[in-house]
Amino acid sequence: MPTRRTFLKMLSGGLVTAMTGLPRWAMADVATAQQSEFFIFIIALGGWDVTLWADPRNEMKGIVHPASTANTDTSQLKKWVDAPLAEGEKSFQLVRPKNSNLVFGPGIGELADMPDRITVVNGLAMNTVAHPDGQVFSATGRHPQGGRVAASSIDTVLSNEFGREQLLPTVSIRFPSAYVGDNLDRRVVPLAIDDVGAIARTVSRAVQYDASPERDRVTAMLSEEARDLAKRSTFPDVLEGMALQYDALRKMLTNNLQEVFSTQGLQKAHPEFNYKSRFAGGPAVNAAFAVEAMKRNLVRCVSFAVGGFDTHANNYRFQAQTQQELFELVAATIKSLDGVSHPTKQGSKLSDHTHILVVSDFCRTPQINLGMGRDHYPNNSALVVSPKFKTNFVYGKTDVDQLLPAPVRKFTDGERAIAPPDLLATFVSAFGVDPRKYMRDGENVTELLKS
Amino acid sequence: MSTAANTKYLLICSVFSIAACAAHSPEIVPASSPEALRVTATTAADTAPKEDLRMVPPEAYMRTYLTLFGGLVPVEAQKRARGGDGAALFDTWDDYVSALGFPDYRLDVPRQTQTNALMVAAFERLGVALCDRTLEHDLKSKKPVPMNQRLVFAFDIPRAPASLDQKAFTPKFDLMHRTFLGYPAQLAPPDREARFFKLYSETVADHAKDDPKSRFSPEEEGWATVCYAFVRHPEFHLY
Repeated sequence: MPTRRTFLKMLSGGLVTAMTGLPRWAMADVATAQQSEFFIFIIALGGWDVTLWADPRNEMKGIVHPASTANTDTSQLKKWVDAPLAEGEKSFQLVRPKNSNLVFGPGIGELADMPDRITVVNGLAMNTVAHPDGQVFSATGRHPQGGRVAASSIDTVLSNEFGREQLLPTVSIRFPSAYVGDNLDRRVVPLAIDDVGAIARTVSRAVQYDASPERDRVTAMLSEEARDLAKRSTFPDVLEGMALQYDALRKMLTNNLQEVFSTQGLQKAHPEFNYKSRFAGGPAVNAAFAVEAMKRNLVRCVSFAVGGFDTHANNYRFQAQTQQELFELVAATIKSLDGVSHPTKQGSKLSDHTHILVVSDFCRTPQINLGMGRDHYPNNSALVVSPKFKTNFVYGKTDVDQLLPAPVRKFTDGERAIAPPDLLATFVSAFGVDPRKYMRDGENVTELLKS
Repeated sequence: MSTAANTKYLLICSVFSIAACAAHSPEIVPASSPEALRVTATTAADTAPKEDLRMVPPEAYMRTYLTLFGGLVPVEAQKRARGGDGAALFDTWDDYVSALGFPDYRLDVPRQTQTNALMVAAFERLGVALCDRTLEHDLKSKKPVPMNQRLVFAFDIPRAPASLDQKAFTPKFDLMHRTFLGYPAQLAPPDREARFFKLYSETVADHAKDDPKSRFSPEEEGWATVCYAFVRHPEFHLY
């Protein structure tokens, strides 16, 4: 006779099956089939103004005060076309891509020309207006608990599923990556750095005193030492993990990464990115790194941040331009991936197997404050570029007067707006991963996925 | 009684009191018995570890590194590690702070609490710089450094080719084991010394072939690799 515990396990298994549409036993096989996928995660640090791109507002309505020529520097904006607003003040005309029902604000820039590649999620309920909380919530699907991150971030989760054998499972450049919880392999601890050049500098070696075989011998011996200590330890995980990391270092140093991943080397190899742009010039090197490392099949996930969105005061004048540079960086990345063959799947483009998710801390208030900027607001939008998602598609909504997330469908806990845990659960489910393995909250929103 | 009589009376009383005190021998407190306290109950102390090993915080690693370098401030340690000889053993601390897991509060980057492969690579880069520069200081200075002023290599290396004798290796190995890991080599897992000796002897034997242009002799390189292994050892980074 089944016990209460067995019954609950069966019940939870059934729930997962119902939510993901896949039987649990099938998930392992599906997961193995995804080993050739790559992931890029970008966070717009500071909180972006969604009324300038995904959820455009160009009329005074309720508490909404749209961006206008009085508070925005429009000189660099490619998609800004004046529209009447008030006396002496002009707002923008909505950007409507050809052959698409999508509508954007001018911050979208040239990415508006690729509607068939993108999915927009609006009305994400953030329940926070604090930067660290919003960043962690967007990346992990859980609010921090007393300042401590409570769950692994999406990049760590996907590396743990598909990137354990990669030389660099997750490279995290100022992204709020977290490695928390059970069922994780120590090899997928995010390689956290503040710029890509740090990789080249860290793996470069002098030659005047010792040679590679000598250093390699030391690393091999340390790997043995770590395994030996693990055998004697009550808790062997950390030591076994360190042994794996020593092994990874040996591989890393034989791949001449220092030559490939220097900032200058990347800029030379990928002239398609705009390294001179005002706000996204630095992050463009990260995008070049992502493309190059994926082309060489060295990474599984690259996550990085683009800053400059926290515009409380007069710096709001450049919010739209900062967005334009971010989205044009995404567009350049898509084009670059289109031109590269997949390293292991013959006849496939890299872009056919690369999935990009762009998020932010939260959005900005619909009203302009006394400093001519916008403060924090508990709503959000996200951008997905993935062959697994329905493209030319927008999901979720906000109310007209207050820009707050509006209920979008019935979830298991009732009718409500979509939230970051749902988006992340959908993202991992798209690759056959059971979200419950890593996430407490969130449901698979199948409407977002291609059938 | 008059005032003079009062004073006289008090004086006489004082003299008698002092005399009485002086006559009394000082009190001696006998020492307590050396016997152990009576056992009333016993409880087994649970010394088993209760949680997994953790990474030493980057600040602690940095402090240890600076101490091993002779108690220098970070900028001085950086200067010594870089040297003026174009060896490119080290860059600047700024180049490694993120890979070493330091937090960056300007960018809201939190402190890393787990090692990763890139951090292990940074440990190697720093460890090699530390050991090579310290070996130069301790063993290759123009004016010999007195034993008590040496930082890590508090022993001499024979100028003649080493005999690769484990007996001669053991005390030097033990000294370095105590310096880096803080306890005698005898208390370490039994295979450790043999493993280090193998590393040392293979390096000495192959150094001329592996790195013919090296600034170190085979024996010096042998001890340098022992130093690299200690400064990057799991027990050096975990607690």
